[in-house]
Amino acid sequence: MESLIEKNGKGRIKISQPNSGQLKFRMLMIGTAIFTVAGFFLLDYSGLELWPAIIGTLENLKTMFLQPQLNQVNFGSAMYQVLVTLSLAFLSTILGAVISLFLAFGAAVNLSRPWISRVIKGFITVIRAVPTVLWVLIFAIAAGLGAVAAVIGMLFHSVAYLVKAYSEAFEEIDEGKIEALRATGSGYPHILFQVVVPQTKSFLIAWTFLRFEINFGVAVAMGAAAGAGGIGYELFMSSSFYYDMNEVGMITYMILIVAVILELVANKLKSAA
Amino acid sequence: MAVKTKERPLATQPAKKTDGIVFPFDLEKQEQQENGRSDAPVIMSVDNIDKAYSGKKKVLKDVTFDIRQGEVLSIIGPSGAGKSTLLRVINRMIEPSDGKITFQGKETLSMKGKELRSMRTDIGMIFQHYNLVDKLSVFENVLHGLLGYKNSLQGIFSLYSEAEKKRAIEIISELGIEEQIYKRCDELSGGQKQRVGIARALIQDPKIILCDEPIASLDPNASKVIMEYLRRISRERDITIIVNLHQLDAAKQYSDRIIGLNDGNIVYNGAPDAIDSDAITRIYGSKLDELIVE
Repeated sequence: MESLIEKNGKGRIKISQPNSGQLKFRMLMIGTAIFTVAGFFLLDYSGLELWPAIIGTLENLKTMFLQPQLNQVNFGSAMYQVLVTLSLAFLSTILGAVISLFLAFGAAVNLSRPWISRVIKGFITVIRAVPTVLWVLIFAIAAGLGAVAAVIGMLFHSVAYLVKAYSEAFEEIDEGKIEALRATGSGYPHILFQVVVPQTKSFLIAWTFLRFEINFGVAVAMGAAAGAGGIGYELFMSSSFYYDMNEVGMITYMILIVAVILELVANKLKSAA
Repeated sequence: MAVKTKERPLATQPAKKTDGIVFPFDLEKQEQQENGRSDAPVIMSVDNIDKAYSGKKKVLKDVTFDIRQGEVLSIIGPSGAGKSTLLRVINRMIEPSDGKITFQGKETLSMKGKELRSMRTDIGMIFQHYNLVDKLSVFENVLHGLLGYKNSLQGIFSLYSEAEKKRAIEIISELGIEEQIYKRCDELSGGQKQRVGIARALIQDPKIILCDEPIASLDPNASKVIMEYLRRISRERDITIIVNLHQLDAAKQYSDRIIGLNDGNIVYNGAPDAIDSDAITRIYGSKLDELIVE
């Protein structure tokens, strides 16, 4: 018995034995910490005067958030632009959700063949590895810089994200429920739409809505970066073109309010499903 | 609780009350059929079935037996003896490595696609963990039993005819769960869930119902109700019930015939009364007084 018990360096009794995975994880964490600290010393700080920079930033923030007001656009057209951004996010989410649902059936290992699952998962990993802005610029070659390229680019990332989320939800399904339907003589489509979808419906809705929230944020950025229009473009204009901090503040508040409303709706939807 | 069922009028037949269970059930017919299952026609014959999973270990070794119409057949044996595998080989949820199965005069092991699906509609199945879709209602779960008869579109959009819905309601009332009909299945007790499972199997209009440890997760009371239902179904509708059991007493009490499996071999195949301590030793590898018999 005594010989089976291991002790650590201080002579205390060990209660667990780290396996190779845990050891690797520990090495990874230590490595990350070292690089983070080293990174601070490697940055170029020349020309940066810390105190004036901090005070200048705080002043800008004060102007933005304590004195918000619209100057270049009126309230009505700003609201309309918010609506445009929401529509961009909505379109890319809905299209993405439909495509993802079918791809996720193929990607879930318990519903598909191993090679199909591997092909789809590999494909979406490649899509995810390329940033959304790059996808938008790639499609801008064919579609021109604007809303169409932005929606297609966002669609790509939505699909990559949702396929992963959906297929992981599908893989959690109890194998017995699928077996039970197979035993009744049901075919593959019956199993998908009578067991898999109803059983994971609340997950599907929650993930889709989360992606909608993300897409709203991305759509704001795309308005600025890819000329997709919407409130993002107004934000870009007032900050970079007019340098109007009051308007930047007002637009930020508008985006924030929409985001909060989306969050509240998401919670309601999830509990209702 | 699961076992509480009230007496209520039924459309088809007046309900008779026995042990607090409602079921339209002809007692006299039962008496006649109580003994003498051995002359019923054979509906399925299982010949020389072998099953080996990857590797060399055989789970089933040269298993041969006949299944007669309307009998209650228990399969008993220790864990890992191959009971679940044997049950799933019957409706081909698991492919045997070798052997032959004849069901209603047809060889089943060569069936594919539509033919296989239509063979499975003739064999219902119920499970230890019920395997219902928790997020759907009792009604929807029972109707799932009809999916084997449906094409893809009808299945995807839950298109059931009014006649089918009426039949589902009838079966649900027979099993005494009509008060729960629109409840979601995760709101039910274990015994109620198992009755939904039975209803799902019954609506298939099967010739055989396979039961994989149907009472292993139930309390003694609910277990009794479920076993009574299964036997009544077999008597009244002339459906064969094949049931995997861990409870030797339940097997003796409710079945017409017992098959004992040990390490993939059939070591006993005969009447429940004829099972003696010698047979027990062969099945479980230990003497009767060393076992906990419920």
